[in-house]
Amino acid sequence: MFKFSIIVCVGASLLACSSHIVIEPTRVPITPQNETSAKTEEIIKPYRDSMTAIMSEVVAQADTNFIAQRPSSNLMNWVADAVFIQQTQTVRLSTPAICLLNTGGIRSSLGKGKLTLDDFYKLMPFDNTIVWIELPIEALDDIAAYITKSGGEPIANCKVDKGKLKLNSMREGEKTCMVITTDYLANAGDKMDFLKKGKIVNQTGKLMRDVLIDHAKQEGVLISNNEVRFIP
Amino acid sequence: MNRRKFLQNITLGSGAVLLSFNGFGQLLSSKKSSKLTILHTNDTHSNIDPFPSNHAKFPGMGGVSRRHALIQKIRQDEEHVLLLDCGDIFQGTPYFNMFNGELEVKLMSEMGYDAATMGNHDFDIGLEGFKKAKRHAKFSFLCANYDFSETILSGETKSFEIFQKGDLKIGVFGIGIELNGLVTENNYGKTKYLDPITTANSVAKELKQKGCDLIICLSHLGYNYPDSTRISDRKLAQQTSNIDIILGGHTHTFLEKPTIEINKKGKSVLINQVGYAGLYLGRIDIDVEKGVTSRRIELK
Repeated sequence: MFKFSIIVCVGASLLACSSHIVIEPTRVPITPQNETSAKTEEIIKPYRDSMTAIMSEVVAQADTNFIAQRPSSNLMNWVADAVFIQQTQTVRLSTPAICLLNTGGIRSSLGKGKLTLDDFYKLMPFDNTIVWIELPIEALDDIAAYITKSGGEPIANCKVDKGKLKLNSMREGEKTCMVITTDYLANAGDKMDFLKKGKIVNQTGKLMRDVLIDHAKQEGVLISNNEVRFIP
Repeated sequence: MNRRKFLQNITLGSGAVLLSFNGFGQLLSSKKSSKLTILHTNDTHSNIDPFPSNHAKFPGMGGVSRRHALIQKIRQDEEHVLLLDCGDIFQGTPYFNMFNGELEVKLMSEMGYDAATMGNHDFDIGLEGFKKAKRHAKFSFLCANYDFSETILSGETKSFEIFQKGDLKIGVFGIGIELNGLVTENNYGKTKYLDPITTANSVAKELKQKGCDLIICLSHLGYNYPDSTRISDRKLAQQTSNIDIILGGHTHTFLEKPTIEINKKGKSVLINQVGYAGLYLGRIDIDVEKGVTSRRIELK
């Protein structure tokens, strides 16, 4: 590493001293060639062992790769369906309901084969919880506009077709719609400001990750659905 | 004449001139002891173990144990080392979900980190969760523009810290990102967000007045954004004075080498960021001269 310094001092006064420094910064890659620290390994080991023991539990199987890809994909559909089904399967709905999540919240794919707890922590590392928001029916247009702009988000029990949100089942004269989502989005995360137009009617406190794990266990072999739910 | 040669000549020339003055000769001879090695990370995101060997982009890279060994080696070779982190220590692997940041902070203490700033993900287990993890920290969290005074983190963080390295005084402070819209409100509670530019200017000025020879800002604002109105490290550099180096995070930007911006007073500010997950350790070796009031930094 070469460094050259020039010290230029005006007159005899140190106060006006300025320096010109040429530096060669580096970024050092950390690779398998680097040595390890025995002391550090010792600190990590008990944590790693107890984590591995828990995380290696097989939860379900996938007979194809599940990926998140806009505008619509099997993993986006699976995640939204999982939340929707787990939240509504024991509930008698008096208002229409949809599930709306965010593509950015799906943090990894699910590969074909055995799925462990670790896979679901990678898929959903955040401790986001599920909330139900009762939204004025007009605000569904905001959801459609948002998805049209973003290029696709995980949704269930509805479709966005050419700028319009269409519920799978909808009676005439409905004034509100339940949106099942996460506390992160309910607090206008990812700039879903329109969710603030509704009111939170149920803070389930249930972690979205746990909901996904429950659904995976219920299915045994994950159901892959490539239905296109966003048509630009 | 190429630049390096040119600079070399000038160095020799001015050295000769300076040596003819007694006081300045001493200044030159003390130069060796004023070399500072700044090591930095950002957005390590609970990556304790290396990436898997089949990782698409960074197979087998990273790992805290290797980082620690590397830092120890550098400490053997260099006398004055500052080890700094720019936030988002938490979130990204089950180590965080299972142990709530305890291991991350413990290992940073073990590696001898001098200071860190908080990133938005460091709020992910709430202020109480952060406070618990922080019990394992043997270093300071520097957050100048988060006002925690009405929260349980009151008194737990500092705006800045001054490190004495040989006869050098190094001022370090932290600037965080706006939490509203990025972090669930429950997780930051009554934390007040202060304007990053106003705060950075006033803290840097204070550090200058306290006689710091070098002023470093640990930032979690993000390197640069397409939206030109959004505050970033580059904007922060342009719109402030007295900061010499901004070490950044948040945008997971892999800079091959630092960027130089010109600040409000026409002086150079070095900006750096080293991606994420502890895949790289940033290293800046710099000769800091005592009594220098203006510094022009150039990259080789």
